[in-house]
Amino acid sequence: MEENIKNTDSDARVYEVGYLLVPTIPGDEVPAVYGNLKELISSLGGEVIADEMPKQINLAYQMLKVVQNIRNKFDTAYFGWIKFEMNPEKVADLKKKMDLDPKVIRFLTTKTVKENTIATKKFVRADMGKYKHSPKKEGEETPVEINKEEIDKEIDAMVEA
Amino acid sequence: MKQDYFSSNNIKFIDYKDIEILKKFLNPNGKIMNHKRTGVTSKNQRALSTAVKRARFLGLLPFVAK
Repeated sequence: MEENIKNTDSDARVYEVGYLLVPTIPGDEVPAVYGNLKELISSLGGEVIADEMPKQINLAYQMLKVVQNIRNKFDTAYFGWIKFEMNPEKVADLKKKMDLDPKVIRFLTTKTVKENTIATKKFVRADMGKYKHSPKKEGEETPVEINKEEIDKEIDAMVEA
Repeated sequence: MKQDYFSSNNIKFIDYKDIEILKKFLNPNGKIMNHKRTGVTSKNQRALSTAVKRARFLGLLPFVAK
């Protein structure tokens, strides 16, 4: 935590880089490529906050990448992202280095917030919370019945008075 | 009188990686729906459109669906 505070003092901002890796990488070499990207970020003074392993996805449309004057067409790719904190001046260097990487089809650097931004998982928890509440309500009904009797007695007492 | 999806679900930051949520705001051709249809506040509609455009760039969503 102390390190984070120091970084914010030096104008560090939270960024996220989403990237697509070439599908020609064999499955067992993907973690190595992903580790290299993380090292690249930390070598530029960035601090990784959150990340996700690249997963193979079907692209919504065909993408082109020219490597050594050869046009390569891709229909699938490994999609991963890394959220990190970095000095804004260093982000341009990161872009230059990633541009040169032949294994990256495309990447996108965005400004973001430190908190987890993926909401889909939250909904599952929220739904589970609702189910937990319903049996509690049933349990609460029994004390309410007791209260009713007490109230009846009180009303009777009032009427008699 | 439709309520804003994002504020009612307490989503403060619309993420381009949340394709399942973004897909709700696309029509069958893959176009972003009108804010009159979505019922989303103007601020969130702007954030939604940037998120969809980012997802399109990274091949998560189509520019045009056939």
